[in-house]
Amino acid sequence: MLQSGFARYLRDGKGFEGTLIVAAVLYLLVFAAFPLLYTVLMSFQEVDMFTLGTLVRPFAGLKNYTDLFQRPEFAPIVWNTVIFVTLSIVFQLAIGFALALFFLQDFPGSTYVRGLFLAGWILPALVVGAVWRWIFAGDFGVLNYALQSLGLIDGQIYWLSDPAYALYSVIIANIWLGIPFNMILLSVGLAGIPGDVYEAAEMDGANVFQRFLTITLPMMGPTLGAVVALGVIFTLQQFDLVAALTQGGPANSSNVAQYWSWQMSFQTYEISGGATVATMMIALVIVVAVIYVRSVQREQSF
Amino acid sequence: MMRKLLLGLVFSTAATSAVIAAPVTLQVWALDEPVHFTENMAKEFEAKNPDIKLDIKLVNFANILNDTIRAVSTNTAPDLLMLDNPDVASVASHDVLLDLSDRIAASKVVDAKNFYPGPINQSTWKGKIYGFPRGGNTLGLYYNADLFKAAGLDPTKPPQTWDEISAAAAKLTDAKKRQYGFGFSAVATEESTFQFLPWAQSAGGDFNAINTDGSVRALQFWQKLVDDKVATPEVLVLNQPDLGSQFVAGNIGMIVTGCWELPRFANEVKFDWRVALMPVEKAGAPRASALGELAYAVPKTSAHPDEAFKFLEYIYSQSSRDWNEYGWLPLDQTATPKDPKWPEAYAVFAEQMKYARGRGPSPVWPKVSKAIQVAIQDALTHKTDAKAALDTAQSTIDGLIK
Repeated sequence: MLQSGFARYLRDGKGFEGTLIVAAVLYLLVFAAFPLLYTVLMSFQEVDMFTLGTLVRPFAGLKNYTDLFQRPEFAPIVWNTVIFVTLSIVFQLAIGFALALFFLQDFPGSTYVRGLFLAGWILPALVVGAVWRWIFAGDFGVLNYALQSLGLIDGQIYWLSDPAYALYSVIIANIWLGIPFNMILLSVGLAGIPGDVYEAAEMDGANVFQRFLTITLPMMGPTLGAVVALGVIFTLQQFDLVAALTQGGPANSSNVAQYWSWQMSFQTYEISGGATVATMMIALVIVVAVIYVRSVQREQSF
Repeated sequence: MMRKLLLGLVFSTAATSAVIAAPVTLQVWALDEPVHFTENMAKEFEAKNPDIKLDIKLVNFANILNDTIRAVSTNTAPDLLMLDNPDVASVASHDVLLDLSDRIAASKVVDAKNFYPGPINQSTWKGKIYGFPRGGNTLGLYYNADLFKAAGLDPTKPPQTWDEISAAAAKLTDAKKRQYGFGFSAVATEESTFQFLPWAQSAGGDFNAINTDGSVRALQFWQKLVDDKVATPEVLVLNQPDLGSQFVAGNIGMIVTGCWELPRFANEVKFDWRVALMPVEKAGAPRASALGELAYAVPKTSAHPDEAFKFLEYIYSQSSRDWNEYGWLPLDQTATPKDPKWPEAYAVFAEQMKYARGRGPSPVWPKVSKAIQVAIQDALTHKTDAKAALDTAQSTIDGLIK
């Protein structure tokens, strides 16, 4: 009797809701909070190859952080990361938005073609990286061949092995990879703007640009905010492309924070160093998330 | 009294037979590779030793060290695992591997005198042997004899000094066809350290003497090959398999790569290709080459170290099959293959193996290697000059191995 009473308590009302909350919180604790805190903890400890399994390790204070700042590669890698994130997001957003507006024109087959755009996005980044490696290859690459055939360049451009180009090559591949996702999210946002607003504006004599600036952009505010915030997070996670294309080289010219963190953790086993970079990235993402949440709230309070 | 004795006898025989009859299962982590070496050896070994079963888990090359670290930290290590040879010292220095010295000395199958020096030094840490190399691979100079003839070079006299390499590379280079004379791998991974050290060693340098004049000359030599465009700037991103593919395609006249490429080249190459010893700085300079291959290791936590060692003995006893069936040189230098495949290449690599020097051994090898990789890439991209790049590497390395 007790059992069935308990089962009923679980199934109906407060008990059911409580179970759901506990399950969700438990999941977050185990799979999100614990690894996150573990990383933060390691950034304040001396971690050795074989002390990964214990929590108790020598406390290092801020030494891991000061060590990191003093490394000669620190400033260049931070700067590379800023360029990587900024350029990736600006172009993904601009081209994604343009494509979303383009497909809004509702020409025959537009929905199918728009769907096809997603094909690139669902490819694993490692596969995308392998394909772009052939495109960017210096001596026998497709891109150099195309540019030479068009008469745009004379010699070879060593997209991946010239330190002046390597970072931008990775960015180009990343922009290509991110466009479909941006386009789809922005298309959904555009579809949410009621058509009669445009009709009314058109009757009032507003031209295409005025309509875009006064209706589309303001009404897309929250969506754009979300896409930018997600973009920052996804771009900071973009590891596979770097691994497949340049491995951060040559001479760290295309190295970015996320790849550096992995290199330290799993190539040279400076696990505290890798955790320190990861912790700083977590802090940055939290800042971005807070700005995003507040901007969306302000948007809604109008 | 008699009764007691008899009883004891009965019990002890029962106990012994119980030990023999109870099958032991060894947990083995083997490298996931196309030749399936460990799996094949395990099948043969099981057939001969019905009381020992081998439970094999395949591990990808890129993960072997990470998986080992994770397993050892969580006390879930297998009875036998594999490590890339420069990593043996790193792991052994943490006192987690079984010292195999006594077992090797006592073994009736293994004769330590016959080991090639390179592989066994690489598996030794502080005078004790912690790794059991399964063999060795080393680098050689592969060249395209057809391109040699076309360029007016004598394919029976491959370049053997740095100057000869430069001269031959210049003749083999054809910018219009994007054909390069010489190729090596300077990719920002362990592979570039592996490829660079023999050049430094031939000039009197080494990993812990990386800013000596000789080491600097070696790096300047690499730098000049790229600056003169007789080696493609792509060497900065080409790993050794990529390099091999460029050679197969006929785009590079000479490359430095390992004997592991022989089976592929024998299948894929459409021109007359040959192998020579690694070039040295000047005639008479010491020969050097890199030493690759994996080693088996028994974690200290293993409950069946004797059975694991018995399996290693079996692998050792089959050494003479290594070259023909698997493409590497045996651990046992007396185990010469019958009718070696690619006999000329075998002669070159068996000779080269005598000069093969390991990396380290050092418990912090990955960091040492990283410092060298950074120097190579900084110099080849002219971020700094070779001397400054190697000075930086040396001070990093000094800080690590003090």
